Amino acid sequence: MQAMKQFITTDEKLRQLVHALSKNAWNIISAGKEGTNFIYINDGKDLVINADSKPTKLSAKEFFFPKTEPLFFYKKNHDGVDLLDPKDVLRKTVLFGVKPCDAAAVPVMGKVFNWDYKDEFFNRRVEQTVIIGMACSYSDVYCFCTSTGLSPESSKGSDVFLKPAQNSSYIAEAVTPKGEAFVVEFSSFFDAANENDVKLLLNSPKGPEKKFDANQVKQWLDGHFEDPLWNEVGETCLGCAQCAFTCPTCHCFDIVDESCGYNCGRRVKNWDGCQFGLFTKHASGHNPRGHQPERYRQRISHKFKYYQDKFGEILCTGCGRCTRGCPVGIDIAEIAQEINKRNSVLV
Amino acid sequence: MQELIQAAQAALTSKEAAFIIGYALTPDGKKTRPFIARTPDEAAKLVFNHTCAHNLAVYLTRIAKPKEGKMGIVAKGCDTRAIVALIQENKITRDQVYIIGVNCSGVTADVTLPFGADNLPSKCIMCQVQVPPVSDVLVGTAAPYDKPKDAVTERMQLLEAMNEHERFAFWASEFEKCIKCYACRQTCPMCYCEQCIVDKTVPRWIESSASLRGNFSWNMIRAFHLAGRCIGCGECERACPMDIPLMLLNRKMGMVAMQQFNYRHGVNPEEPTLVGSYNMQDNNEFFK
Amino acid sequence: MENIYKPELVEILDVIDETPDIITFKLKFKDPEYHKEFNFLAGQFAEYSVFGEGECTFCIASSPTRPDFLECSFKAAGKVTNAMRRLQTGDTMGLRGPYGNYFPVEEMKGKSVVFIAGGIGLAPVRCVIWNVLDLRDQFKDVTIVYGARSVADLVYKRELEEWKQMPSVKTVVTVDPGGETPDWNGEIGFVPSIVEKVAPNAENTVAVICGPPIMIKYTMPVLEKLGFKEENVITTLENRMKCGVGKCGRCNVGNVYVCKDGPVFTYKQLKELPEEY
Ligand SMILES: Cc1cc2nc3c(=O)[nH]c(=O)nc-3n(C[C@H](O)[C@H](O)[C@H](O)COP(=O)(O)OP(=O)(O)OC[C@H]3O[C@@H](n4cnc5c(N)ncnc54)[C@H](O)[C@@H]3O)c2cc1C
Ligand code: SF4
Ligand code: SF4
Ligand code: SF4
Ligand code: SF4
Ligand code: SF4
Ligand code: FES
Repeated sequence: MQAMKQFITTDEKLRQLVHALSKNAWNIISAGKEGTNFIYINDGKDLVINADSKPTKLSAKEFFFPKTEPLFFYKKNHDGVDLLDPKDVLRKTVLFGVKPCDAAAVPVMGKVFNWDYKDEFFNRRVEQTVIIGMACSYSDVYCFCTSTGLSPESSKGSDVFLKPAQNSSYIAEAVTPKGEAFVVEFSSFFDAANENDVKLLLNSPKGPEKKFDANQVKQWLDGHFEDPLWNEVGETCLGCAQCAFTCPTCHCFDIVDESCGYNCGRRVKNWDGCQFGLFTKHASGHNPRGHQPERYRQRISHKFKYYQDKFGEILCTGCGRCTRGCPVGIDIAEIAQEINKRNSVLV
Repeated sequence: MQELIQAAQAALTSKEAAFIIGYALTPDGKKTRPFIARTPDEAAKLVFNHTCAHNLAVYLTRIAKPKEGKMGIVAKGCDTRAIVALIQENKITRDQVYIIGVNCSGVTADVTLPFGADNLPSKCIMCQVQVPPVSDVLVGTAAPYDKPKDAVTERMQLLEAMNEHERFAFWASEFEKCIKCYACRQTCPMCYCEQCIVDKTVPRWIESSASLRGNFSWNMIRAFHLAGRCIGCGECERACPMDIPLMLLNRKMGMVAMQQFNYRHGVNPEEPTLVGSYNMQDNNEFFK
Repeated sequence: MENIYKPELVEILDVIDETPDIITFKLKFKDPEYHKEFNFLAGQFAEYSVFGEGECTFCIASSPTRPDFLECSFKAAGKVTNAMRRLQTGDTMGLRGPYGNYFPVEEMKGKSVVFIAGGIGLAPVRCVIWNVLDLRDQFKDVTIVYGARSVADLVYKRELEEWKQMPSVKTVVTVDPGGETPDWNGEIGFVPSIVEKVAPNAENTVAVICGPPIMIKYTMPVLEKLGFKEENVITTLENRMKCGVGKCGRCNVGNVYVCKDGPVFTYKQLKELPEEY
């Protein structure tokens, strides 16, 4: 394997880079202060590059799979209907300071959006975006990236990956050809890193302790579609979509029409989630997942089994958002731990 | 919390209650979450501490009513207001619930941080019911705690000082953030409709998109549906992943109900509801 | 940009009232070239749209052997289907498809076929029936057992008569007890017991079955008793769908996307899936 191309840059240079990007009409997005949310910026001084920050409330998925997105517009006329594709031209976009658990989710979601039929709404956004990932030295009781095959230094999904070094500098790795092209295009802000530069790297962040073994979770799920566990964990779930909507990997959506009057309107794709009771309800009234525990089983099984069976990826990057925000404290990592425990009893 | 466990076990053993909706520790032992105990053994897991912020009354309308015995519930003073409100709205009757009232010394806003004056939800800062006014059995002790100034009240004053354009701009910027996860609705003990108006499709009253237009209709309609009904538990705001200050709306509605009609929901199970009753003496000034 | 969610426009050529709440639309793509190139197989479905109301999923109820038009039969159940009920001949709709897998008509050739349907479940079966009948000499015995709650609830009444007249097909139509009219000359009884009575030979035979879950539940043991093997009993699932193309995450049963890996399954395949349909 070819060694990753490494560069060195500084906090100051990255801020200048924002200025240059802004002059070239790029869309610039940065993690917000105190990690509240991603924000659009135009000025280098608003850039937040902070490896210690808490994950944003919403993940970065909204920039690839927005909460609501028009699919086409319709106009009725006397002899039928005209359908118009969304005309919005996407600007080149750069996302700064994306954590490994958010960046890794992009290729994971890319699998479902690209098997057989291709969802170009997702793809074109990915193509237009340069993801500048950054090593993460935050970790709280909810984080568990290390249990999903990632780490605070995984560059999966990033185009350029920053690792903090001494004196407010960063070692930047060009992870993908797109990332490399970006660094080349803006080469005045990135210098080739030599051996001495690399020695300036700060110690690797430790990351959260590994909480469970995802392979064993899958093994257990393979044989426990029916199990008392589902009632235990799902009974108190209130069936909102906080967990799905804040999750970087959840990708379910609804398709609905919205009119702007009698003759015109649009069809949109809106986030949806499998914990809603109406999600699978048939028009006949029959509901294959009629109770909350069945819906919760779907959530865990999709994350740790079905998606792996189908696409070879765990549908979870361990960002901890679902648990951090669950109004009733349902903890996905803890459930996986419990499954591990039951597995070892059986083996 | 031996007292709580004993009360729960007694209710389960005597079959007075079919189950007890309460709190149990999470495996890390640091926080609690809702837990439904069905046997005296399970009831031994029940706890009550500063992390028991959830209003468990939400489960009274979500869980299948037992064929025999009552629905047992562990309730703080503030939570009993929701139970009383549900009785007033004929969703449950008083003899369908067995209330284990817990004397409360405040709960945390953020469960990962220690309890203290800087980690109190607004409901605890404003609390006047540390001792539950309604219960079948009362356990624990209510200790006084330091209450800082209430940030919600302060924000409310700021909002009231705004003109309507400023206020509209404020809410537009807040509602813009809404992602339509409906966590506010799902955690709300008073949001129990079998089919919520947002889920009605024939016709569709509220756009399901999380666009500004759809979000405005959703958040405003929810506020209206809770006018004079919200019991101020703050669960919706606690659940909102986007930090939308929903309590500002709810508090205002509650204040109007008080000022205009001298009404407070969830206080007296015998009292007719504000929306469900008409009084010749009611203030009619707003019909203009 | 290729837009997999944008439908093609179709025109309603005819509206046929099958029962008080089931309607059949005869459709043709507005673009004649597209119509010519539109190929599908029996059992596939499509997403039909009424602009301003939304989309919904129906099987293509007409046979690929009759390519002049497409047909769908639907029951007014909710938002879109009720809006469709208000449409008339000449109106424009949208259609995306065909999606999903199909009945193994090729593999059924040289075998006998038994069709068992209940209520609107005849719609997906009907496309295979016509497919088989249009190639009649390539199959052995053909038996059709169809039942509905009452005479008024029978769909495709004209075609039922047509099938009954065909000497090469054994057609048995039944209504639930109490659902008959004074001049009813068909069977009276529930589908499972009629199947038992008709007792089709299981030897070298494929059964295609579709209808309400309760009908399927009680017919399966009958078929088993008659000697049908699970791999020779084929049905189609109706999980709720939105995208139809394996994206929206709504239709899965375990690790199977019904919209892509289905909707047609053999009983053997279904038994291996979690019971979530
Ligand atoms: C592969 C496949 C093939 C199918 N083939 C056929 C077919 O050939 N023919 C056919 O008729 N159907 C078929 N269906 C079922 C069909 O897709 C649904 O009946 C249809 O999508 C209903 O759409 P709708 O917009 O009218 O209902 P929606 O409005 O989407 O209604 C759906 C949900 O809302 C509820 N609901 C709707 N309206 C109301 C209301 N007013 N009040 C309360 N609740 C309400 C319903 O109970 C249901 O849960 C098929 C489904 C699949 C997956
Ligand atoms: S956030 Fe919690 S309560 Fe809401 S659906 Fe997810 S697990 Fe259930
Ligand atoms: S399931 Fe939870 S922890 Fe995993 S990626 Fe989604 S939000 Fe993060
Ligand atoms: S967990 Fe649920 S909401 Fe998330 S992708 Fe899977 S099915 Fe969809
Ligand atoms: S609206 Fe909010 S504060 Fe009021 S009762 Fe519902 S959850 Fe509690
Ligand atoms: S909880 Fe917040 S984000 Fe979710 S629907 Fe309610 S207001 Fe919107
Ligand atoms: S219908 Fe969308 S994934 Fe199957």
